[in-house]
Amino acid sequence: MAKIIIDGQEIECRDNVPVLQAAVDAGWDVPHYCYHPGLSIAASCRLCLMEMKMPHPQTKEMGWAPKLIPSCQTPVRDGMEVRFATDKVQQNQKNCMEFFLLNHPLDCPVCDQAGECHLQDYSYKFGQPESRMVDQKLKNPKKDIGPSTLLYSDRCVMCTRCVRFTDEVSGTHELGLVNRGSRLEIDVFPGLPLDNPMQGNVVDICPVGCLLDKDFLFQRRVWELSSATSICPGCATGCAIRIDHADDKVYRLKPRYNPGVNDWWMCDEGRFGFKYIEDAKRVTSPIVRRGLDATSPEWADIPEIVEFRFEQHVRQHGGEKLGAVLSPFMSCEEAWLLIEFLREAAPECTLAMGPVPMEGDDQSFPVGSSGDDIKFTILKEKCPNRRGIEMLLEAAGGNQCSFDEFVEKAGKAEFTAAWIVGGYPKEWVTKDFAKAAGKIELLVVQDLMQNALMTSSAFVFPACAWAEREGSFVNTAGQIQPFDWATNPPEGARRDGQYLYEIAGYAGLYSGERVRELMAEKIPAFKEVHQPPVRPVHAH
Amino acid sequence: MSWKTVNRNEPAINPDAPPILSEALGNKIRSLFPRYDTKRAVLLPALHIVQDGLGHISWQAMKEIADILEIHPSDVIDTISFYTHFWTHPKGQKVITACRSVSCETMGGADVLEELKKQLGIGEHETTPDGRFSLVTEECLAGCDHAPCLLINEKMHKCVKVEDVGRILADDNNDKIDHKRSDLFDAPATDAGAKDVPGLESTSDVAEMKASD
Repeated sequence: MAKIIIDGQEIECRDNVPVLQAAVDAGWDVPHYCYHPGLSIAASCRLCLMEMKMPHPQTKEMGWAPKLIPSCQTPVRDGMEVRFATDKVQQNQKNCMEFFLLNHPLDCPVCDQAGECHLQDYSYKFGQPESRMVDQKLKNPKKDIGPSTLLYSDRCVMCTRCVRFTDEVSGTHELGLVNRGSRLEIDVFPGLPLDNPMQGNVVDICPVGCLLDKDFLFQRRVWELSSATSICPGCATGCAIRIDHADDKVYRLKPRYNPGVNDWWMCDEGRFGFKYIEDAKRVTSPIVRRGLDATSPEWADIPEIVEFRFEQHVRQHGGEKLGAVLSPFMSCEEAWLLIEFLREAAPECTLAMGPVPMEGDDQSFPVGSSGDDIKFTILKEKCPNRRGIEMLLEAAGGNQCSFDEFVEKAGKAEFTAAWIVGGYPKEWVTKDFAKAAGKIELLVVQDLMQNALMTSSAFVFPACAWAEREGSFVNTAGQIQPFDWATNPPEGARRDGQYLYEIAGYAGLYSGERVRELMAEKIPAFKEVHQPPVRPVHAH
Repeated sequence: MSWKTVNRNEPAINPDAPPILSEALGNKIRSLFPRYDTKRAVLLPALHIVQDGLGHISWQAMKEIADILEIHPSDVIDTISFYTHFWTHPKGQKVITACRSVSCETMGGADVLEELKKQLGIGEHETTPDGRFSLVTEECLAGCDHAPCLLINEKMHKCVKVEDVGRILADDNNDKIDHKRSDLFDAPATDAGAKDVPGLESTSDVAEMKASD
């Protein structure tokens, strides 16, 4: 740990970080555009300039250097002294902001970034009200640079974060700097658009409204959005994300800083993969069937009905005829509650985990990197909680089988009752499985979308999308990562956690944290969860 | 002007078009690989070679240069667009560069430029219909002591007067330079020329940097 003095205040900071990072970590709002901790240092925006004490070249006496020094490019050294709150520094910030706004259009009212724009924020905080610009502004066109991204050249401040991102993180090099000086623009080679599995991140790191997401474009003003912390369910990496939502609708997903897991990034598959939440095929109300009679009872009555039917069934057929398929899309808490209920109803029941969807190969970034150079990986395992379900099954012990064995056994009518959990965003019920499941007399299907299993099932429970649920996922690295709910389930549906909580015999409101406490009593691994550090307020 | 959208998804080159760089040009570029640590570093010489060979660097040529150097074409346009020396569209056989900076201006550079426009019948950044001359202006040609200056291709014409313009344009040798250019550019682009390119010795700071890695 190095100690440096900023504005006369001694702070402790990590070794070798730039002074800018140390100051931002310690709570200073140091304006910056080009600096991003995940990218190389360009030192081109000149906003973060500070006064620093340096040895005099001849006398070696320590004194304030006459010139301002970019704090993003200067690593901290123990005992270093810098000044941020001085007239000289502030005058530079004013001049820089005036420069950035020379050609910037006054189109905040129609700009998607307004409200989370660092040009707005810094202009307000560090800028000045007047501009000396008397000439016509340069007007660059808007460019359609790829299938998901638009580039508003006229709003650009030339921080080159996006160019460095494609060079260093995605490794795809689509973006380049075209022309020079005041005519400098970000551009792609015509016909080779920005189209890589991580391109959405350039929109996140753009500090102004230059790079915008076509998916979110003109959908909602950002100040109307609320945010919930969540974990991406797209693959087993378990990227920490933020769900931005309003009026019970998810508008966009943004990555959260999660060192060692996803750092600052997320992939497009996860970013735009939430659309199934609004799928018309979703199950929205519970259905209970007895013979040909199907009803939709009140949620409050459901635990009693389920308990009664299962008790009756176990009495008639014996516990070993009961099976369950847990889904790798369930949160650990939900799976644990279900296991609790089933094992209490019939301790000898058979547990299995549903199919783990695999697509293609793992993709590493930068493209073509290997070993320590890998900065981000999109896994082929397209479910968030295989590890979590495995941990719970291991802790549960007893009769267990693989999914294939389960289907085989069900086909041989070895199960007369089963609880099958889906939650897969894509079609997952095969014909064989549907046929085998048809032989199960007391079938409970808990799934997101309507599927072939539901025609013959005794119970249909709507499963909620992850954005509507609360709990935790365990990623491939074994980190237990909790997530919150963002939106309410569709009308008529209830959170899986809530009804499973009640079915498992608990009263009151379900809370992921409360259930984890109960779990931790039996499975110590759940005592601690992985919470990514909160980034400093002024970091971006 | 945000309401105007430029579509960058449209390719600038025809994927079925035959290659524009000849085998000889390609080999000349490849012959420079041993000189540098990375293939990317050959970009600037490669651009000179292609412009010398083809007159300008088209989108197609950029793509082919990128393929040879194993870099992304956006890196090529990035570099080309930085330097005004490189032409991305066809130019005349001879490029006349007139200085428009202070020294030349005070010594009558503007009149010379007007005379050039009159005699050639073209404006700035235009090419004569017969394809012989292109006219451009530049900030300074580093010949202030001989203002006003003109550059025809690489030949400098100093202390040009308005009445000289006709004579200079009529002279067939108005772009012949006296001194020898670098063997890199004068050597004809042949397969045989490939191995004759001398290697460069690393400077001490490069050696130091390598040692510190």
